[in-house]
Amino acid sequence: MNRLRVMAGVYKQYWRINVLTTLEYRENFLVWFAFTFVYHGSAIAALWIVLNRFPSMNGWTFRDMAFLYGLWMLAHALHNTLFSTVGDIPDHIRDGEFDRLLVRPLDTLFQAIATPGQTFPDELVLALITFVAATIYSGARVDAAFVLFVPLIVFGGALIDLAFNLFISTVAFWFVRVDALRWIVVQLEQEFTRYPITIYSRGVRLLLTFVVPFAFMNYFPARYFLHKAHEGAMLPAPVGLLTPAIGIVFVAIAYVFWRIGLNRYSGVGH
Amino acid sequence: MSAAAVGEAPRRPRFRLEPYVQFAQKAMAREATYRFDVFTNIASVLVRVYLLRMVWVALYARNTAPSELPLHAIITYSTVALLMGLVMDIDQTRALHDKLHDGSIATDFMKPISVPLYLFADGSGEVLFHAALIVPSLLLALFIVHIDVPPAYVLLAFFVSFVLGYLVGFCVNFIVNMIAFWTLEIHAARLIVTWVTDLFGGEIIPLVIFPAFLQRIAFALPFAAMFSTPLLIYVRVIGPERYLEAIGLQAGWLAVLALIATAMWRAGANRVIVQGG
Amino acid sequence: MAIIEAAGLRKVFRSVERREGLAGAIGALFSRTYVEKVAVEDVSFTLQPGELVGYIGPNGAGKSTTIKMLTGILVPSGGTLRVAGIVPHANRMANAANIGVVFGQRSQLYWDLPLRESFELLRSIYDVPRDRYLQNMRHFAEILELERFLATPVRQLSLGERMRGDFAAAMLHDPKIVYLDEPTIGLDVVAKEAIREFIGAVNRDRGTTVILTTHDLADVERLSRRIILIDEGTVIYDGSLERLREEYGTHRILVVTLAETPPDEIAVPGTEVDSREMNVVRLRFNRRELTAEALIRRVTERYVISDVSIIEPDIESIVRRIYLEGYHEGAVGAPS
Repeated sequence: MNRLRVMAGVYKQYWRINVLTTLEYRENFLVWFAFTFVYHGSAIAALWIVLNRFPSMNGWTFRDMAFLYGLWMLAHALHNTLFSTVGDIPDHIRDGEFDRLLVRPLDTLFQAIATPGQTFPDELVLALITFVAATIYSGARVDAAFVLFVPLIVFGGALIDLAFNLFISTVAFWFVRVDALRWIVVQLEQEFTRYPITIYSRGVRLLLTFVVPFAFMNYFPARYFLHKAHEGAMLPAPVGLLTPAIGIVFVAIAYVFWRIGLNRYSGVGH
Repeated sequence: MSAAAVGEAPRRPRFRLEPYVQFAQKAMAREATYRFDVFTNIASVLVRVYLLRMVWVALYARNTAPSELPLHAIITYSTVALLMGLVMDIDQTRALHDKLHDGSIATDFMKPISVPLYLFADGSGEVLFHAALIVPSLLLALFIVHIDVPPAYVLLAFFVSFVLGYLVGFCVNFIVNMIAFWTLEIHAARLIVTWVTDLFGGEIIPLVIFPAFLQRIAFALPFAAMFSTPLLIYVRVIGPERYLEAIGLQAGWLAVLALIATAMWRAGANRVIVQGG
Repeated sequence: MAIIEAAGLRKVFRSVERREGLAGAIGALFSRTYVEKVAVEDVSFTLQPGELVGYIGPNGAGKSTTIKMLTGILVPSGGTLRVAGIVPHANRMANAANIGVVFGQRSQLYWDLPLRESFELLRSIYDVPRDRYLQNMRHFAEILELERFLATPVRQLSLGERMRGDFAAAMLHDPKIVYLDEPTIGLDVVAKEAIREFIGAVNRDRGTTVILTTHDLADVERLSRRIILIDEGTVIYDGSLERLREEYGTHRILVVTLAETPPDEIAVPGTEVDSREMNVVRLRFNRRELTAEALIRRVTERYVISDVSIIEPDIESIVRRIYLEGYHEGAVGAPS
């Protein structure tokens, strides 16, 4: 209990530092906000351009795809707001700052997550607006189940993101430079979450469901909420609600790998 | 004799290519040490080749295909674009930012070399190393997709246009990185240009598929000279009768951007020398 | 009871062998060979609570590897280690609560924010009770003169001020042991002295055990009575500074200022001319073979002098000699 109290206090302090640092660099913040805007704007524009010319993608219209994107964007933005500093671990390993985390009486991963990284909830706000707009535009029925499950699904999606972020950062215990790997996973996630997974072959669908479960970030939940349960015939529609569980399982797996990496860092068995 | 020499204006040192070749070689060796990057790079290209193929297949299956770009042509387009991306997407002059950040630019100015040329050589070394990855990537890509191979004269035109596209890309990149002379926080600006280039350069979606008004905008921007022109030559949407016009336009953009880059470099370098960073 | 007990500590690293040139780099894409490097061969020592010890050695001797084992960052490959009764790597967090660490080249302060913010954060990390925190802050503010710049963003502090901030940060939770890694690196003489003052005060007033690794031997000379010398991963000397000086500092220098124009050749039996500048001659002699008194007598018998003084060997030159020649127990050493 005491430990939880300490962690809560530390977490609060870290966010305080985070906000103060962001305010210190207001111009920077604006530039990054512009970046976030262009980044998602160009992605949505690309979807619109393609679906303007080809109105249907395996039965999904631009309206459906907007919802698909909005859901992913929200989960991804939540991850970026809460967990993005996990991605800085490789830099800390390289410049020796990582040792600092190890000489403090707190869990290393907790510190890595909580460490301020000049994140601001701007992307999250943008994502929320996009998601609400996309929901209205797509005509998804907003009922009690929607209101109840969407936050859970979004959080589960953020956990899936965290699992891969952590996994890649852990690789840095073996290979110093993981920038390329991270860039690739980020790009693949972007691209594989953009379209309904029914366009891929069976093998890739299985991969996106069970191995790198990005399909749980948006495709399965979107299929459920947009009532496209008939398609794919891969799994029954309600699996779309399993995202939180999938997120927890994958974070757990990543955490085991992280412990192995930490052991290697401190040279266990050498 | 020596008395006469004193009166002479200091002579500019003779240009020697050798140091720049050295810089390029060093850059190649440096890149080669990161083996993890190499494998992940190739893997990423292959996965994206597959992905884009599936996307186009799905789109063409249920909609009417555009007459100028049948399915096999658009898959060829995407695949060649991804292979070009192996060298085009490299941020060749990002070293400038780091040099300005840690102040080591000052030592570069002290050496008897042209700093922009040094950056170009360094970036090109990196690019050449990655260009070597195109061959294995291409061979592996052929397991995933079929690529149309056009006749030799088209390939030649493509190659010329590709080189011009690379140079245009270098200038765009250099200009963005030179913003660091004025503000060191250019990471976001760099990424913004990357996304805009991806979209308006036609790297992901051929510009001919864009709605008419966007098409007009996209073709009027310099980014089209980077990817779109060589790729449309490759898939023969731009036929031989338009080669001169298309490649001439690329050369025009290159001249304009090179002028802008030179002006920015002068102003930036001046700023560093006069104000000491 | 000892606060640190290290016995037979050993650490071996495995690393990839780098190959030369482009061909080598490409070859490394496909296969790599590993080399084992023994960073710490055999290190044993015990520290009593409240000791202040200088842990010194040349670059690559294994100093920082030892510190990393003591702080629980690295797991030893062999040997046993207890810090305040805890095995550091097996119980990292419990150990972390007992220790404070200052890495001289790396700050733990938040660059863009007022110094005070970093302290507040550390207070919550180490769960320091509020009144204890305020009490410590008052104390540090007094001896480090922090008050002046508590509200200043760290990036605007001078290196000396920043270092003082880092010290306070490491001491905020009353650690039993502090590890100081190059605490005075890059500081000017005044700032150095302030830091040394603080280290001494903390050790004296709070009984904090201090392990100091440094290349500036003046730090050690000024602060610690005991030093541990390590070279090639092995402890080669562990004891008082006096004893080391006794054993190695056998050569003193007599500086003689001659009153009259000196002859071209100066020779005094039992000495060597170390250097000579105009009429100031420096004579090197072995303390064990010749007393200063006897030597001065010999000099005055031969020359007319106006002034003499004796220079004792400083710790720096002693340690330099040990680095170069290795340590020999009870070394007397002839003039080299």
